[in-house]
Amino acid sequence: MRLMRMAVLVSVLVLAMSESAYAYVGPGAGFALAGSFFAVFAAVFSAFVMLLTWPVRLLLRFLFGKKAPAKARFKRIVILGLDGLDHGLTTTLLAEGKLPNLAKLRDQGGFQSLGSTLPPISPVAWSSFQTGVNPGKHNIFDFLVPDEQTYQPKMSSVEIRPPRRVLRIGKWKQTFGGPDIRLLRKSRPFWSILSEYGIFNCIIRVPITFPPEKLHGVQLSAMCVPDLRGTQGEFTRYTSRPLDQGRSHGGAVVSVVPQGLKVVSKLAGPPHPSRPELGPLKIPFQVTIGDRDNAVLKIGSETRNLRLGEYTEWIQVKFRSGLTVSVSGVCKFLLLSVEPEFELYVTPINIDPEKPAMQIGYPSVYPIYLAKKQGAYATLGLAEDTWGLNDHVLSDDQFLQQCMDTDRERELMFFDALEKVPRGLCVCVFDGTDRMQHMFWRYHDKLHPARPAEIPESHINAIGDLYQRMDDLVGRTMAKCADTDNLLMVLSDHGFNSFRRGIDLNRWLELNGYLSVDDSRRSEDYLAGIDWQKTRAFAIGLTGIFLNLKTRFSQGIVEDGQEASQLKNEIVSRLEGLLDPLSETRAIKRIYQAAQVYNGPYKNHAPDLIVGYDRGYRVSWEAANGQTTRDVFHMNTRAWSGDHCVDPSVVPGVLFCSQPLLSDRSRLLDIGPTVLDLFGIAVPSYMDGKALAIGDRAGPRANNAENIQGSVS
Amino acid sequence: MSDTAIHLTVLLNQIANAVGRFLLAPLGFLPEVAGALVVAVVTGILMLIAFKYTSHQSAIKHVRNGIKAELLALSLFKDSVAVSLGSQWRIVQGAIKLILISLIPIGCMVIPVTLLLGQLSLWWQARPLQIGEDVVVTLALNENDKTSWPNVTLQTAPAMEITQGPFRIRSRREMCWQLQARASGYHRLNFVVDGQPVEKEVAVGSDSMRVSIQRPAWDLADILMHPAEPPFQRSSSVKSIRMQYPLETTWTHGRYSPLFFHSWLVFWFIGSTIAAFCFRGILKVNL
Repeated sequence: MRLMRMAVLVSVLVLAMSESAYAYVGPGAGFALAGSFFAVFAAVFSAFVMLLTWPVRLLLRFLFGKKAPAKARFKRIVILGLDGLDHGLTTTLLAEGKLPNLAKLRDQGGFQSLGSTLPPISPVAWSSFQTGVNPGKHNIFDFLVPDEQTYQPKMSSVEIRPPRRVLRIGKWKQTFGGPDIRLLRKSRPFWSILSEYGIFNCIIRVPITFPPEKLHGVQLSAMCVPDLRGTQGEFTRYTSRPLDQGRSHGGAVVSVVPQGLKVVSKLAGPPHPSRPELGPLKIPFQVTIGDRDNAVLKIGSETRNLRLGEYTEWIQVKFRSGLTVSVSGVCKFLLLSVEPEFELYVTPINIDPEKPAMQIGYPSVYPIYLAKKQGAYATLGLAEDTWGLNDHVLSDDQFLQQCMDTDRERELMFFDALEKVPRGLCVCVFDGTDRMQHMFWRYHDKLHPARPAEIPESHINAIGDLYQRMDDLVGRTMAKCADTDNLLMVLSDHGFNSFRRGIDLNRWLELNGYLSVDDSRRSEDYLAGIDWQKTRAFAIGLTGIFLNLKTRFSQGIVEDGQEASQLKNEIVSRLEGLLDPLSETRAIKRIYQAAQVYNGPYKNHAPDLIVGYDRGYRVSWEAANGQTTRDVFHMNTRAWSGDHCVDPSVVPGVLFCSQPLLSDRSRLLDIGPTVLDLFGIAVPSYMDGKALAIGDRAGPRANNAENIQGSVS
Repeated sequence: MSDTAIHLTVLLNQIANAVGRFLLAPLGFLPEVAGALVVAVVTGILMLIAFKYTSHQSAIKHVRNGIKAELLALSLFKDSVAVSLGSQWRIVQGAIKLILISLIPIGCMVIPVTLLLGQLSLWWQARPLQIGEDVVVTLALNENDKTSWPNVTLQTAPAMEITQGPFRIRSRREMCWQLQARASGYHRLNFVVDGQPVEKEVAVGSDSMRVSIQRPAWDLADILMHPAEPPFQRSSSVKSIRMQYPLETTWTHGRYSPLFFHSWLVFWFIGSTIAAFCFRGILKVNL
């Protein structure tokens, strides 16, 4: 708008004062020309102001900025997070010479296994990474936690409430402002401490950074950013098949009836902002079938060609409620089939990064900057649609394409950050590695029950190919960080292993007399059929068992103290010996008591027991959702075939460093303290992590390195 | 080349006059502001459509987004002077690209817009004479033969009475008469120059009328700015005939103040720009 106003003003002056005003050639070309001149003017003016104020800013920072007690050892530290990169598999591939760039990084610096957290799952692990504390201090223990009043699962890291300001006039209701979003992760990210010392931070897609917190630098949020419907990623499938043939877990299925060559339906978006009883806002769309492979999609103001099996680019969709309110999202369409049945897949509707409906980055213009720079991109916390593949809506190739597209978008952001941040901290997490290993492990594990008899040639080595792609990314990153005053770390939050058998903990608890469930309601999600007056312990989420404590839950029956302690000991001793009847092997490596393994003010929010499954096992799909089936053990035949919700010793992550790693053992929660230490900042005493000893392959560096604190470039 | 361009322009002016007389006729009875608004809005929308189809829309969007990104980068990454200077350089590059991209639509629109402005100037640059009002008419002679002075007479007519003149300004090779309007309507002044009849149109009336200030010389700029009457040939003894009509003095028409030579043009520019800006979303045009 400001650009337009300036353009108009300049043009008016030109027109008013010049006899050659007839040279004006209309608003379109006029805008373009005036806008160009304004852009040049803005660039020159801002350069002038910047150069003029630079010494002043430098002086102010020098006089009033907080000073680190020691000199920084590096000008820039770059951390490349590859979610789920497994230490064992990486070691094997390194030995086979398949990861040349990581091998080079190992040889010039160091490579170690990186201890994950308990449990070794992304929200917990990345929270410890960023805060340097154990879960008892950062309050994240799982993806989900049960509500203490209703027992219903809720997200552990974020709470999203409707807007607080509402104007009501009779039946009419108008909300003001955005939703009330609260981050439930406690403690403080180490980049917040760096910010205090004037060190610039660029934090891209690190899980559990939503809603974004203030920092000196820029940040793009990741895990837990919802889609426009408020879910963690709900795809939509339009089908002309009878609905009962297409039961879906992770998506909405909409029945359509083709009329000749036309299919007309609606795309559901966010709930109505002021009258939720009206259901979601919807946009009509129409698909006109051309032939077996082509169709034309018309939605809103967009018209796109659909080609069988190919994703469209991101399409902006606007959901309107009333004349003035509209919410903008982006999604991709994929024509799955034209005949004999019509099938259309739509990705979860991501928050439009160019017009975000809620703050997904800091400052709020950073996501907009990225969208202007590189075009629309996935903003959803879990961007890759694993449910689409799990529900057999997407094929392996289509899922892989989605993952690779997301990685490409991430790479553009990351390399832009490397250009824009010559000093300070730059962290970027690629989580496609986690999603792809979850979904393609069945091709890697020859004994996996979901492994098909015939594996497509392109996927036989899907996991190896993925590691090689990441190796290539590391190579390009190394090239950008080649300066001796840069430190590059490549790390993962946990490793991976096979998920062959699922354990229904609730069934085990029932069989052992700790839980009572209404037999007719076993298949209902979210602990629906449980009789709380007869239940002493229950499981929900990926690794936790909760005691039904009187002091914690609204219908609790277990007294805290000795009774609880006895109960925990009893469950641990019985459950640890659980044998898989199929193989006669132990399914659980160890069970941890939260009170003993966590410390900090939030340890009472943890599940009472954390189950460390052995290799090949995990909580069953049903138990994770709060169901109670009739069997303790379940064969996992889903595409989601690899996992890491096991004992941390089974799935260590990796740590590569461009400088020698002198510490014998490194843990994920040591990274934050290490970065602080490398920037010359004292590690706060509340942090549980310790600064790792990082050597110097080129001799003492401290003499050469500048003190980054206080620098304005 | 020049003669060809002039011939072509004359031809285009004839077409523009025919179309303009018809399409702009409502300006004769609409209130001044309403007429100016309607014209600004309609032409703004038409030019927006023309811009949409003559420009590379996706390239404009891409370049504009790039410029916006770098403008945002200036505030996001201001800690580093080198990064900021890089962003500023990319803004300049983007601006240059935008100008280059705009050359095609400019090329496509320059002729129709110039013709349109010529037609609008007939309505809005000057007002017609009122009955009893004096006006000076100046006949400029060609400078082909500076030594000779042709025999020039202005024939009297009941609608326009000669009150003074002729006066000869030898240094500028011009002759002037002062006339007084006697009757409403469009009239013709009939000159005889060395026996050859020469005409100039005059507009008298109290309403809005098309007013041709000048019968132009054989000059491209002159012909573009005064399209209503045919130009004098290069070989003619007469170069041009100009009448000093009273200029319009409102902010939508003519000359509002000494600072603003073309207030009507400013009004039309702002009006058409606002209209284009308002309709760019509806018409899905990247500017």
